[in-house]
Amino acid sequence: MDFAANLFSTGTLSQILVGLSRTTILFIVSSGMSLILGVLRIPNVAHGSLYMIGAFAAWTVIRFLGGGLFAFLAAMIVAPLLVAAIGFALERGFFSYLYEREHLMLLLLTFAFMLILGDLVKIVWGPEYRSVTVPPFFQGSAEIFGLPLPWYNLFLLLVGPCIAVFLWLVINRTNLGKIARAAAVDGEMVGAVGINVGWIFAFTFVLGSFLAGLGGALIAPMVNISLGMDHSLIMETFLIVIIGGLGNMWGALLGSLIFGLTQSLGILVWPQFGIAFPYLAAVAVLVVRPRGLLSSTW
Amino acid sequence: MRIVLLFLAVILSTFGMPGSGVAGDTVKVGFVDTYTGPATTFTNDVLDGFKMAAEKINAKGGVLGKKITYVTRDDKFKPDIGLTMARELILNENVDLLVGTINSATALAISDLCRKEKVPFIVTFSKSDKITGEKGHRYVFGMNENTEMAGRATAKALAKMNFVKYWIAGDDYEYGHAIANGVFNHLKTLNPKVRLLGQSWWKVGETDFTPYITRILAAKPDFVIVATGGGGMVNFQKAAQSTGFNRKVPFYQHTAIELSTLMPQGPNAPEGVYGTANYLFYYPDTKENKAFVDEFRKTYNRYPKSGALYGYMTAQFIAGSFEKAGKIDREKFIDAMEGMTLPSPVGNMEMRACDHQVTLPMFFGVTKKSPKYDFLVASDVVSVPGMDYMPSCAEIAKARAK
Repeated sequence: MDFAANLFSTGTLSQILVGLSRTTILFIVSSGMSLILGVLRIPNVAHGSLYMIGAFAAWTVIRFLGGGLFAFLAAMIVAPLLVAAIGFALERGFFSYLYEREHLMLLLLTFAFMLILGDLVKIVWGPEYRSVTVPPFFQGSAEIFGLPLPWYNLFLLLVGPCIAVFLWLVINRTNLGKIARAAAVDGEMVGAVGINVGWIFAFTFVLGSFLAGLGGALIAPMVNISLGMDHSLIMETFLIVIIGGLGNMWGALLGSLIFGLTQSLGILVWPQFGIAFPYLAAVAVLVVRPRGLLSSTW
Repeated sequence: MRIVLLFLAVILSTFGMPGSGVAGDTVKVGFVDTYTGPATTFTNDVLDGFKMAAEKINAKGGVLGKKITYVTRDDKFKPDIGLTMARELILNENVDLLVGTINSATALAISDLCRKEKVPFIVTFSKSDKITGEKGHRYVFGMNENTEMAGRATAKALAKMNFVKYWIAGDDYEYGHAIANGVFNHLKTLNPKVRLLGQSWWKVGETDFTPYITRILAAKPDFVIVATGGGGMVNFQKAAQSTGFNRKVPFYQHTAIELSTLMPQGPNAPEGVYGTANYLFYYPDTKENKAFVDEFRKTYNRYPKSGALYGYMTAQFIAGSFEKAGKIDREKFIDAMEGMTLPSPVGNMEMRACDHQVTLPMFFGVTKKSPKYDFLVASDVVSVPGMDYMPSCAEIAKARAK
């Protein structure tokens, strides 16, 4: 195998761009998880289920509005909002009662919700595959050195940085974000100065859920929306959050970049074993920096 | 605790199931299959096809004056559950024979149990060629095509085309590798000029195929064998459509032309994809097929897929064999089933005596938009007769002797 020749071929640029568009989805979902992990200290196993609900909800909205660009954009807003509402109910109705208890209890509860939400999806949407098509506006692909790059992937390349900037603004420029960051470092102290930590937690969880739903809605046109799409994602997301540094949002970005790019370049270099590369990269990172690339809030 | 749960599961799963008649008055068929999750797209058709045929047979007085009844068990796509359910059906429900499973691992496990218990087992959807090949025995029957058969049929069709540089890509699990090897190995013997440029394998459930597709295009193959199964079928076709992959290089997927792959995508499925299938509701355009489709649509309000044909013929073969045997006896049933030929919606089907594998035609075609339906259909369909693509009895004997 001529690895080096593969790496510097005409396909490299399009492969990097494709990898970056994958990074976008991974970042949106894992940043939500990281946020919840950092502030609430919940390793939310049900995060993938929220992402799955986002995809199914997007399908429903797009079908209801009969397709087209408008239906697509509406789905990108309605589906994440629905997931955020579910997140709000989960946090206020269940998780908020367990913050005083051991972390293990929270972990078990999120695991339980992964199963419950999975079954709920089956009851509401049925066990069949669902499929939505890319809106007409984004159909087709651009050519880069003769290789296709779908317009939808380019659209994702635009969405990614927008979400990152939005999150940066929320966390660094709003009061709420500042308090959330403070609560992440020392929740007790934040409570002591008279701030209702409970609502900060609720806000964070809702924001995290919104991101999971958005990730699901964005990926809906690219995949088969099916039961089980939560499981495949949750593994990758956890790994990304771990190699990036638990609870660190920029770590999640870095982790997603590593995951997305090693995968697409791995496929370019050695197509038969392309899937192994992101995991090898994760191992390499953890050997060198066992606590993750960036500082953890834990 | 486990026992209590198992007990509850058994109790619950028997609710609302017909077939509680006294043993002896009925022919009792036990179904073990996956009735939850994505696989139901295929398994429900098997059961519905069977039900439709059984009701017709029962309305005419049944088999040897006995009604065909059935019980179902959900194996949840897990071999250990499937095996437990099969044992329970044999021991507690006293079924006369077993039918089922879409999961090859489950089918092989139940097949082994049935060999020991001397209970006939008709496999309706598993695609491993081991079932009636090297692991075949007196008590197991194959009612559908397997990876070896699909591979040979496809190789036959591809050998007539002038593609030389091939690429193999697929889901990284047994079915994917089996189907890819089945096609390419036979293709190489039929057309020694072909060569393999490279392969890419992704994990089962991969959602984003774009990086793989750009990589394959960069290698500039003439033809790509895409070995996906289950959800991967639609996922890959969607990626092919959005990248224009199908317009740049022709590719093949087993079951690409099947309704289960094309209907969920509506009019937006990629055109020009080569595929094989055991059944198409619009081809062949014969009286028999039309009658079958009409009846199925009238009963279930949808088009029949391959599974419906397998289920329908399973009931026909069961009824025919017991009728020929003259009594409800498992050993006599097997003797009667061997070599039996019955008419089917796609022409005559023979249960080959040497390996208990049914002989049925394979349709090779290419996806195309249709003015008649709001989803794509297969065009330029070539029918490959069963005898042309099945491993010979001598080859089966050699595989089993190993």
